[in-house]
Amino acid sequence: MMETSVCAKNLSYAYDGATVLSNVSFSVSNGEFFIVIGPNGSGKTTLMKIIAGLIKIQTGELEIKGQSVKKYKRKILARKIAFVPQQIPTDFPFVVEDVVLFGRSPHLGTFGLESRKDIHLAEQAMKFTETSYLARRRLNQLSGGECQRVFIARAICQAPDIIVLDEPTASLDIAHQLRIMDMMEKMKQEKNITVIMVSHDVNLAAMYADTLMLINNGQQVRVGPPGEVLTYETLESVYGCPLLVDENPLDKLPRVTPVPGRYIKGLSDR
Amino acid sequence: MSSVVKQIIAVSGIMILFLVCVMVLGLCFGSSGTGIRSFAETIESFSNPDSLYYTIIWKIRFPRVLIAAMVGAALSLGGLVFQALMRNPLAEPYILGISGGSAIGAIIGILLNLSRFPGVSILAFLGGMGTLFLVLLISTGKTLLKKESLLLSGVMVNAFCSAVIMFLISLTQDARIHNIMFWLMGDLSSGGKSEALIMGIILLPCFVIIFWFSNSMNLLLMGKEMALSMGVNVKIITVSLLMISSFMVSATVCYCGLVGFVGLVIPHLLRLVFGSDHRVLVPACIFGGGAYLVLCDLLARTLPHQGEMPAGVITALVGAPVFIFLLKRSE
Amino acid sequence: MFKKIRAISIIGMSLVIFSAGIVCAETRPMKDQAGRIVDVPVSPNRVVSLAPSITEIIYDLKCEDRLKGATTYSDFPKAAQKLPKVGSYVYLDLEKIVSLKPDLCIGIKDGNPKAIVMRLESLGIPVYAVNPRSIDSIQSTVLEIGELLQASEKARHMVGEMESRIDYIRQLTATAKNQPRVFFQIGISPIVSAGSDTFIHELIEMAGGINLAQSYISYPRFSIEEVVVAAPDIMIITSMAREKVFDQIMAKWKQWPNIPAVKNDRIFLVDSNLFDRPTPRLIEGLEVLLQIIHPELNFKPVNF
Repeated sequence: MMETSVCAKNLSYAYDGATVLSNVSFSVSNGEFFIVIGPNGSGKTTLMKIIAGLIKIQTGELEIKGQSVKKYKRKILARKIAFVPQQIPTDFPFVVEDVVLFGRSPHLGTFGLESRKDIHLAEQAMKFTETSYLARRRLNQLSGGECQRVFIARAICQAPDIIVLDEPTASLDIAHQLRIMDMMEKMKQEKNITVIMVSHDVNLAAMYADTLMLINNGQQVRVGPPGEVLTYETLESVYGCPLLVDENPLDKLPRVTPVPGRYIKGLSDR
Repeated sequence: MSSVVKQIIAVSGIMILFLVCVMVLGLCFGSSGTGIRSFAETIESFSNPDSLYYTIIWKIRFPRVLIAAMVGAALSLGGLVFQALMRNPLAEPYILGISGGSAIGAIIGILLNLSRFPGVSILAFLGGMGTLFLVLLISTGKTLLKKESLLLSGVMVNAFCSAVIMFLISLTQDARIHNIMFWLMGDLSSGGKSEALIMGIILLPCFVIIFWFSNSMNLLLMGKEMALSMGVNVKIITVSLLMISSFMVSATVCYCGLVGFVGLVIPHLLRLVFGSDHRVLVPACIFGGGAYLVLCDLLARTLPHQGEMPAGVITALVGAPVFIFLLKRSE
Repeated sequence: MFKKIRAISIIGMSLVIFSAGIVCAETRPMKDQAGRIVDVPVSPNRVVSLAPSITEIIYDLKCEDRLKGATTYSDFPKAAQKLPKVGSYVYLDLEKIVSLKPDLCIGIKDGNPKAIVMRLESLGIPVYAVNPRSIDSIQSTVLEIGELLQASEKARHMVGEMESRIDYIRQLTATAKNQPRVFFQIGISPIVSAGSDTFIHELIEMAGGINLAQSYISYPRFSIEEVVVAAPDIMIITSMAREKVFDQIMAKWKQWPNIPAVKNDRIFLVDSNLFDRPTPRLIEGLEVLLQIIHPELNFKPVNF
């Protein structure tokens, strides 16, 4: 039996009366690559923050590694889950190597002072994310992709079992998107870290995910392997636009192609 | 990568050296004109408690220099903490209404003809903590952690207190108005040995506790959510830091009235020189802030031909140009 | 055994000499005007005055050779300006005072900062507080300072002279036919007068006038309206070396000719030094007031 990293039951959440999530339930196994997709405003970010413990649960239950999230002390939880936000606060007045080193904070002693071991781990994390050359740069001097990699390095330093990312590839070009996704896959394979993330790119999600969860208007539509979730009926009803779903020539996983308006007019014309 | 421990030791070492030098200067000079030579003589005749030099240097100047160092440290540290908590560079230790509230308390004490210690001090302390609770009450609930709401509430409460203070001053027709003005401008001259001891007992634990929280302050700079995700219990730490810093600042106000500018400028100055890591900045502010106020107090009591200038005047006159200079350099 | 006896006797002798030293220490207790018992030296030689009025009185008593320091504004008599300065009356300089090695300080109750007074006493320097708030208490202040400085006879003589001059004035004013309404202006802008708890009030009443600013506040503020309604017969303005300003003030008041004092041209300028210090010079001020308020009594200063 594979152990569960995250188990969510009937999670609901409302901001000022407006429901953002209703009755979302799922479970993620250790070492799984779990990607959440769905249209804008479907509550994905809120879900990520709830899983990472940043937002208090309103209704429902959430268990991390078999223990209810309410029973965790902050610092211990931070050693289990690391969070990578969508928007990086660039006014953080430290250079990259310090930012990454701060990821060790949940493991540091009373006065928060690092040891040789912590510094070594941070160097390794920077190597893994290929950010060593940025060590002495300030955050506001980095490009979007570099920033993301730095924050992932910081998350790696937390030595978490689970890493939660909120649309890490949102404003990146294709090369950087691939780089991040490959990095996540490497983490999953080499360190057995559970990766939970939100992606806006359905195809990329399809190629990397073990499990996909499609969310619309705060409600769960489907959960399962990409082949099950990415059918054109399901997708069209959720996204509300014409889509073509065929097979990716690389690995036979579903490939989603958006259909421009002119093709539809053309078809009805014939 | 340089270890932060090495940094802390190096920075603390420099600042402690600076502090000690300035304290020695503070012992050597004063309004009675006894200078370095007499200081040397005092070291020699240390066992002669009846000599005039002994009295002046150890009974008058030494407690004063100690108090100035502790007050400077507390104010700088308070400024540092408030700037971190509110993520606003204009934050300073009196900003949460402490100055307004304690001034009202002190003025009432002076008008009631209470003596400086303990009467006026206790009322000043109660006044400061009172306005603090008022500010917290106003910005309670979810808004407590929204940084603007605390700041704005503090500014408003201070403004209201200023009006009350003006009113009380306008009612005062006699010599007590001098007492009030000197209190408002910062007066380091009244403390003796016992006051220095009491302040030490109150302030030193606060310094240690704040140092304990210094890495959390670093993480808070990343924003509430990121700090949470890295294991910082944001609500508890924010409230604790707020309470301890306010308590610390109120304690200094009790003894010396309002000494402005130190809490605003010293953290910025030290940040420009030593960077933003609070684990380094906390000891730097303690020793550097202390040294700064000892120096300013020394100038305040030796520069004028007659009598003294209020310490708060010197801290501003000296601090502002130095800060502007450093700011321009860093660009 | 022998050594022990020798040690004990040496210690014993030292204790005896020590206590004898304390007993013959040349101090005596006196009760000051703040009600405290202060151990003052029998013959103080290094006195520091903590207020200008006290400096003046010490000079009046011809004890200035015992005086080693005074406050910044101790400017009368002129010789006093040469004394070492120990800060101002409201903001004393502790270090400066101590460096003058005083054996006695004389200060004013509720005037000097209490904290500094307490520090001085904790350093072994006795501080004697006087509280001259009225003519009577000025006289007892002169007597007490005289007693402190071994000049009791001179003090009695001074007080006697004050008494005689006051009695003479009382006799004169008893014959006065009316009591003019007097407005004594201290502050120009805002207009401030002297209320019931001040010397000025006492002097005006003694000089046979009615102080229009009688109120529970020591220095009440007036608006122009209130002065006009009060309709003073006489207006007295203190100078503080402001001759030019006096012409401006006169011109301002001349705008209100329905004030009796303006109509009858009875606006006067006086030297403020005679009215704001609690010293025997107040009697001079009293005589000036008498001549202004009751010129018909033909006051002539008499030598006592």
